[in-house]
Amino acid sequence: MTDTAVETTRPIGVYTRPKGGGGWRDWVTTVDHKKIGILYGATALVFFVVGGCEALLIRLQLATPNGTILGADTYNQVFTMHGVTMIFLAAMPLAAAFGNYLIPLQIGARDVAFPRLNALSFWVFLAGAIFLNLSWVLGGAPDGGWFGYAPNSGIIYSPSVGMDFYAIGLQITGIASLVSAINLTVTILNMRAPGMTLFKMPVFTWMMLVVQLLLVFAMPVIAVALFLLIFSRQFGANFFNTEMGADPLLWQHLFWIFGHPEVYILILPSFGIISEVIPTFSRKPIFGYEFMVFSGIAIGFMGWGVWAHHMFASGIGPLSVAAFSLSTMFIAVPTGVKILNWLATMWGGKIKFTAAMLFAVGVISMFTIGGLSGVTHAMSPADTQQTDTYYVVAHFHYVIFGGIIFGLFSGFYFWWPKVFGHMLSEKLGKINFWVMLVGFNMTFGPMHTLGLQGMSRRIDTYSPGFGFELWNMVASIGSFIIATSVLIFVINVIVSAVKAKGQPHCGPDPWDARSLEWMTPNPTPEHNFDEVPVVESLDEFWHRKYGTDEEGRIVRVATAEEVCQDGSATGVHLPSPSYWPLVFSAGLPLVGLGLIFSLWLTIPGGIMMVGSLFAWVFEPVDDPDGPHGHHDDSEETATEEAPVV
Amino acid sequence: MRSWRGLVGLSALLTVTGCAADAELDTMNPQGPLAQEIDNLLQPVLILAYVVFALVLGATFLIWWKFRDNHEDEEFPKQVHGNTKLELLWTAAPTVVLAVLSVFTLIVLASLNDREDNAISLQVDGESVTWEPEVVVVGQQWWWEFRYYLHGLDGVDLSDARNLPPADIVTSSQMIIPIGQEIELSATSRDVIHSFWIPALNGKRDVAPGRVHPWKLEADNPGVYFGQCTEFCGLSHSRMQMQVVAMTPEDFQSWITEQLANPAAPTDEAALRGQAVFEIQCTRCHVVNSINGETSTGADLVSNAAPNLTHFMSRTTYAGGIFNLYEPDGSLDRTQLEAWLRNAPEEKPAYAQGRRGMPAMGLSEDEIDDLVAYLTTLGTSPGLSIIEATEVE
Repeated sequence: MTDTAVETTRPIGVYTRPKGGGGWRDWVTTVDHKKIGILYGATALVFFVVGGCEALLIRLQLATPNGTILGADTYNQVFTMHGVTMIFLAAMPLAAAFGNYLIPLQIGARDVAFPRLNALSFWVFLAGAIFLNLSWVLGGAPDGGWFGYAPNSGIIYSPSVGMDFYAIGLQITGIASLVSAINLTVTILNMRAPGMTLFKMPVFTWMMLVVQLLLVFAMPVIAVALFLLIFSRQFGANFFNTEMGADPLLWQHLFWIFGHPEVYILILPSFGIISEVIPTFSRKPIFGYEFMVFSGIAIGFMGWGVWAHHMFASGIGPLSVAAFSLSTMFIAVPTGVKILNWLATMWGGKIKFTAAMLFAVGVISMFTIGGLSGVTHAMSPADTQQTDTYYVVAHFHYVIFGGIIFGLFSGFYFWWPKVFGHMLSEKLGKINFWVMLVGFNMTFGPMHTLGLQGMSRRIDTYSPGFGFELWNMVASIGSFIIATSVLIFVINVIVSAVKAKGQPHCGPDPWDARSLEWMTPNPTPEHNFDEVPVVESLDEFWHRKYGTDEEGRIVRVATAEEVCQDGSATGVHLPSPSYWPLVFSAGLPLVGLGLIFSLWLTIPGGIMMVGSLFAWVFEPVDDPDGPHGHHDDSEETATEEAPVV
Repeated sequence: MRSWRGLVGLSALLTVTGCAADAELDTMNPQGPLAQEIDNLLQPVLILAYVVFALVLGATFLIWWKFRDNHEDEEFPKQVHGNTKLELLWTAAPTVVLAVLSVFTLIVLASLNDREDNAISLQVDGESVTWEPEVVVVGQQWWWEFRYYLHGLDGVDLSDARNLPPADIVTSSQMIIPIGQEIELSATSRDVIHSFWIPALNGKRDVAPGRVHPWKLEADNPGVYFGQCTEFCGLSHSRMQMQVVAMTPEDFQSWITEQLANPAAPTDEAALRGQAVFEIQCTRCHVVNSINGETSTGADLVSNAAPNLTHFMSRTTYAGGIFNLYEPDGSLDRTQLEAWLRNAPEEKPAYAQGRRGMPAMGLSEDEIDDLVAYLTTLGTSPGLSIIEATEVE
């Protein structure tokens, strides 16, 4: 139709799209959801290690009474950045990594709905992450805790630039999360393969949909809170100035209205991951798919009604405390349902305890501990003894580390061959698991005891004689065992990659898996599916491999090789790469630095942002010379066009 | 299999969470009816939690042992897609259990928020007054103030914590209470949010500027009960501690009587020199009733307050409850006190340049000696039993 017009109208100057050409240029201009997923994962793992090193510093400081390794000021910065880094720069982007890579594959799509926005999400996230960590060298890291309670986060009580970096940095990463959430929501709702109704979607995709919707509504709340903080600190606004009649609890409400859904934003991706891993290795379908999905949705709704359980001691009044006590009690129900359904999935199965499966089973038992200690928090009178002690630290690390990190590691082992075309060493993987399990329990188990013994959180040191010595030492030793397990993982990644070099890729279906992403070869070709599959059932891939004979026994009807596509399609129209997401993102930290140090810096930052938006709008939809340019005369195997927005 | 045993051993280790006998902040060693109520609520639920965890872990191990793939054949296990009855059952069962827990939670919550009428009779300046035991608790970076209004809080405006109405008794670091009485607290803050927590006597309650939060304490027996600020409040958060000293009604009356009078003026040379130093250097922030109690216009600090030192020697800790004023034998711990006067930020991190915390005063050694001599005239030692109880081994 308009083909010829496009071919003859060459775009001018800066508005040409990047030509690709391999190497780093491919990575900085990519709009491919898989590459973006890998970028997210790699970046998040780096920050996971950074946050881990901060944790080790904390544990070194607290290993003995009257610790002198960090001063009080440094300690406050380190524990603040440990929380900020692990939540916003490690756990959330790791979930984004899995979401980006897997969602389009699990729903049979070629890419996400808005590929350039997807690239923007990643680069904005990276810009925010770097911006936050620049604070270490530009005048001091944030020192008001990741929760940044007002008025302690105000300019009088936190006069360094740290909390400015916190407020602006989280605002930047928040943009990334919000953009990505909208993108993935639209992708899941609109781009499913023919036949894939909502209730034929894999549980992982379902959980990610709930997460994205939570993000869409939660991020604006923290954005508002952060703007109030930025205006208070930068322009002398009085939102938290009690002398002008402000109520300092306003910040707490805003923070936790975001902060509690955030917990589910963090945990549901992991629940999704192990809901894929457990059925695969149990060789059974997930037990009670509908219950699993609806309990995830229930968590997504109930998660909005429990925020003030972070504030039982804050003085919100007995009626509010009673109401939030009750709602918190009952959010345990859908979570409990999930635990039991996973166990029921395994029950009667024929379980292969691969590394991925071990981590998944680890989630079930470790998260249960976190859930049970959560019930003791829901009892608000008991919580007034526990809150802000190490008992809480133990509780949420069992949730976040036991529930989330174990789940993400399960995902690494499970989908590594999908992404990189080779397996991680199972042997090292199992060692990885057991070392991590032991280290994790040694670190965080004793913190229950420390908290019940009355050790407060966020104290930079403690005196001998309160009975804290033994368990702090045990926890500190445990933290280095965790570090060892992460090191084992890194070694596994390197060793496996070296071994795989020059070897043919692993087969298409190493785990006898169930869902659609395994219908593409490993590693996934750039265009994902040669032909978008028509979906008939939940666990579509598995149902294409297996049928039942007359006696109702499961029999193989096709080999994985027959079912899997070979990735040989050519001329598939794919969205072209773009410079502008990166340029736009690079402008944001300049504006941030400008707000803190000199407004002049906002000018180049602003020009970059506005200019790149113009370029974004005006860049051509297509590059005739690009590697996946406009379809030519060659044979076409696919006609579906990926969106080009 | 080997690794199994490790796991079992580890969980056994973790189960032994017996709290050490010397844990002064132990939350599970209640010393009054309020803390006892909380403990009674928590203990059975902890047992329930152990049972549930044991069941889940047991089921996991059973599944592991029973359903692991032993590579005998390639047969698929029975493909079960779910069981609605079973799933409804395990949705309903925890709901019922949690509903029961909720009922007990609400009962305890209501009880902890009751205010009891328990007026006691006190001798104040020679006349008998009826006093509803109540203490105003004021947090600021990084110490606690306790104010006693012996004629009740009616008409006492606590809304501006930086400018509180004069109280009959103002003390810091240590709150003195009579045993067997519910003590009503009105808690507020002069700067950021802090949290007041005496684990043996009750849970914690945050104090926030511009807000007055009710809370209460009760101790069964005389003793010293330790506490720690538990809401992160900046640089010296860990060094913001306090103790509650519970006394028999008689001892409490003597304490009141003593606090209401001004200590005798110093007579010896060194102490008089020290008083001169104090008047020049210290009264910008601190108050001693007989010197600047009437004319104090507020401290030169963000919080507008520094500890009232009128009866300094009647307390056993200072500087936010972190240093012992006395040696275990009852003599003054002079070394620590001198170090504190010499360079306070060195002893306890503070942000003196931002008028938060005590600055280094640049005193000469002679001035420090004189100042110590003066400070020791401010009130009398509370007695060996309290001094000993303040020692943390």
